[in-house]
Amino acid sequence: MIDPAFIQDVIRVLFAVVIVTAAYIISTRNMISLVSVYALQSLTLVFMALALYSLEGTTVLLAIACITFASKVLVIPYFIATIQERIRIKRDIEFHFLSPTTSLLLSMALMLFIYIALAHIMEGTPGRESLFFFGAVIGISLMLMGMMVTFSRKRAITKVLGYLTMENGVLLFGMFVTKLPFIIEFLIIIDLIILVMLTTILTVGLDSTLEDYHNRLHRFHLVEDTEEGP
Amino acid sequence: MIVELFILSILVFVLGILVPLVTAARDQRVFRTAALGCTIIGSVMLGVFSLIILLTGQVFSWTVFQPFAAFSLSFSVDRLAAFFLLLIAAVSGCVALYATEYIEHLDGGSRRNLLCGCTNLFILSMLLVVVSANTVSFLFFWELMAGSSFLLVMYEYTGPDTKKAGIFYFVMTQFSTLFVMLGIVLLYGQTGSFSLAPAGISFLSTAAFLALLTGFSIKAGIIPFHKWLPYAHPASPSPISALMSAVMLKIAVYGLIRFLLDVFSPELWWGIVILFLGTASAVLGIIYALKEYDIKAMLAYSSIENVGIIFTGIGLYVIFTSYHMPGLASISLLGALFHSLNHAMFKSLLFLTAGSVVHATHTRDIEQMGGLVHRMPYTSALFFTGALAIAALPPLNGFASEILIFISFFSSVAVADPLFKVLLFICLALFALTSALSAACFVKAFGSVFLALPRSKESGEAREVPFRMLLGPAILAAACIILGVFAAQIFVLVGLSVPMPDMFLVGLLLLAMAVLAYAFLFFTASRDVRVAGTWGCGTPSQQPAMEYSGHGFSEPIDIIFSTVYRTKMKNERKFFDRKNCIFAEGTADISLMKIFEEYLYLPIARVSYQTATVVSRFQSGCLDTYLLYVFCTVIAIIIYLGWLA
Repeated sequence: MIDPAFIQDVIRVLFAVVIVTAAYIISTRNMISLVSVYALQSLTLVFMALALYSLEGTTVLLAIACITFASKVLVIPYFIATIQERIRIKRDIEFHFLSPTTSLLLSMALMLFIYIALAHIMEGTPGRESLFFFGAVIGISLMLMGMMVTFSRKRAITKVLGYLTMENGVLLFGMFVTKLPFIIEFLIIIDLIILVMLTTILTVGLDSTLEDYHNRLHRFHLVEDTEEGP
Repeated sequence: MIVELFILSILVFVLGILVPLVTAARDQRVFRTAALGCTIIGSVMLGVFSLIILLTGQVFSWTVFQPFAAFSLSFSVDRLAAFFLLLIAAVSGCVALYATEYIEHLDGGSRRNLLCGCTNLFILSMLLVVVSANTVSFLFFWELMAGSSFLLVMYEYTGPDTKKAGIFYFVMTQFSTLFVMLGIVLLYGQTGSFSLAPAGISFLSTAAFLALLTGFSIKAGIIPFHKWLPYAHPASPSPISALMSAVMLKIAVYGLIRFLLDVFSPELWWGIVILFLGTASAVLGIIYALKEYDIKAMLAYSSIENVGIIFTGIGLYVIFTSYHMPGLASISLLGALFHSLNHAMFKSLLFLTAGSVVHATHTRDIEQMGGLVHRMPYTSALFFTGALAIAALPPLNGFASEILIFISFFSSVAVADPLFKVLLFICLALFALTSALSAACFVKAFGSVFLALPRSKESGEAREVPFRMLLGPAILAAACIILGVFAAQIFVLVGLSVPMPDMFLVGLLLLAMAVLAYAFLFFTASRDVRVAGTWGCGTPSQQPAMEYSGHGFSEPIDIIFSTVYRTKMKNERKFFDRKNCIFAEGTADISLMKIFEEYLYLPIARVSYQTATVVSRFQSGCLDTYLLYVFCTVIAIIIYLGWLA
């Protein structure tokens, strides 16, 4: 039997890993590593679910760990990697509203702000100092950081990754606070897979050559202007 | 048996909607006649059903569909609902009978089929509003009524006037729905249910009353929310104008009465507000009607006046209830209800006969008419009956209902508060003025349209309309006479005791006086025959343009009420000599200030437009910007929950 205090320490370390990966997703210009970091973040969530399972013994957490691993660590990153390989974009250097440095500073402020807001809300409740409180803070922060990615990046692929990060925030929040029913979690993941598949189809097509999709790539900001030439 | 009759009548109306929709591509009379035939049959069945409920006093309830525990689509018919169902049935049947012929003379080809279908949808939605047993179904059918009536107003959609009228009507009717919805939501906040159950006294119920009163006032055409009527009625085909004016306005009246009786516990100041709105609408409505020369716009303004009279009755009901005077309250409410029925009868009669006149003369300008009494004798007789009724002359129905409200006013001497007594007597004076002006208005209308010589070629060539265009109005004219002459007997028949004179006796007395006066003149007048031409101001021949016109007739009243009309007269003259004796040239212009448009509607429209311009800047069309809005909203919610909630 593993000591619960040790597991809680492990979870705290995993929180730190989640924050670091989120910060990387927000600030990086390198698109190749982006998907790997997303896969790492999802893997962290898998470990977190397993750690919580060992604390609580709820089988739903085990199921969540399994489907998260299958979908977010394997399937979705594979599809996105395929897209990246086809469209040959290495860097995302176009931003809206916020530069990476500003986003990073803003996300730090956000985390602090959400911590204070939740502390106000939960003032006087027994869960104020528990692990679940931190889970809620990190979950909401991750969700908002993902949202920042969706509106501050111009490339569709990066937006999709921002959306996926948001969903990771929802999952984290759900695991620690609301206990989302498994069926809802499962349906969200199905949605995500469909979203990524659609992005893949729009990008590379299933029944055609890349040349036919050249215009479409431009329309969805999936290719840089420098690559427009014959 | 009764339930089956009601369901069957609804099914017949549904059939009347489906037949023209299915055959929308075929421009054949048979389909339109079939659809309008459904309207007539459905109306007869509905009329019989409502009469049974009215006479027996039983309450009929029926739940059609219950998707949630808190909400069901259910109907309920008590005596109040049955009364309004009878009103709908009577007018719809006669209008449909008239329309079977009228619609064939309209332009539009197979679009006329859709007109028939929409008319049935409109009637069905109105009757379902009346029988709705809860607020959600009330609102649903209210909106269906608004939508279908908008389609009907837009029948001649290519005309610029119709487009303007349609847009104006649509905006106003949506405002009406918005306020009704707000009232229902506030009531839900108060009671926690969608049923028409007592809401008690609280700030929320007062707010709900004000919202509902505004919504119903817009739909009923109460001043200052009335401007859609003089636009929408002339733009619509005449049977639709008749239905809208005679029935749809009464649905708003029904809504107000239903909520006041079943939901609210009215306070004294509510009654004062309703009385003030009613009196202002009655007086201003008829003053504006006097100034109108478009026959349908004049009738529209007259509808505003009559709805004002009905609101006056409702206001008195609330006031007397607050003073714990149930007898007077009942008389006031009965006066309002009876006037609703009577107005439905004579206003639909007037709109239908006006439609016949417009059809025959191809103009709505009464100054272009004249001399139609010889060319359209039956139509003129029917219009005359309607004019007598609306002018509240005994023994017709207009007088019978207005006398009830007059009795309430006169009895207000029993109210203890002297200030309040003065207020009621001021309203009484204005109410009496309304009756007098109404008589003047319809003397002008009948004189200009039917008497003297034709003032246009079309008017000179006008011919009497076909039989079916006379039959529908004739039934309504008979109803005006019966509801007036036998008013006291009708109240006794439905088990109500009302202190009103026996109009049958009054009628007999009037008839006897007329016969005696005629006999006296006949036997005492000189038998000498004197032949002389009418003094023609020295001109060699009399021209139609020299007749006493509608403008001329209303000129003294225009001058008296010039402050209300805000008439602007511009007269510029130039002379050849220095002492201004020899006239060279000049221009003259008379224009009316549209007070409500210039001081109420346009400022609101301008502010709305400016706000919309500012708000539209947020709509950039950029996905990232919208995501930023969502982000900011989430942050705002967190701030609210963390520090403010």
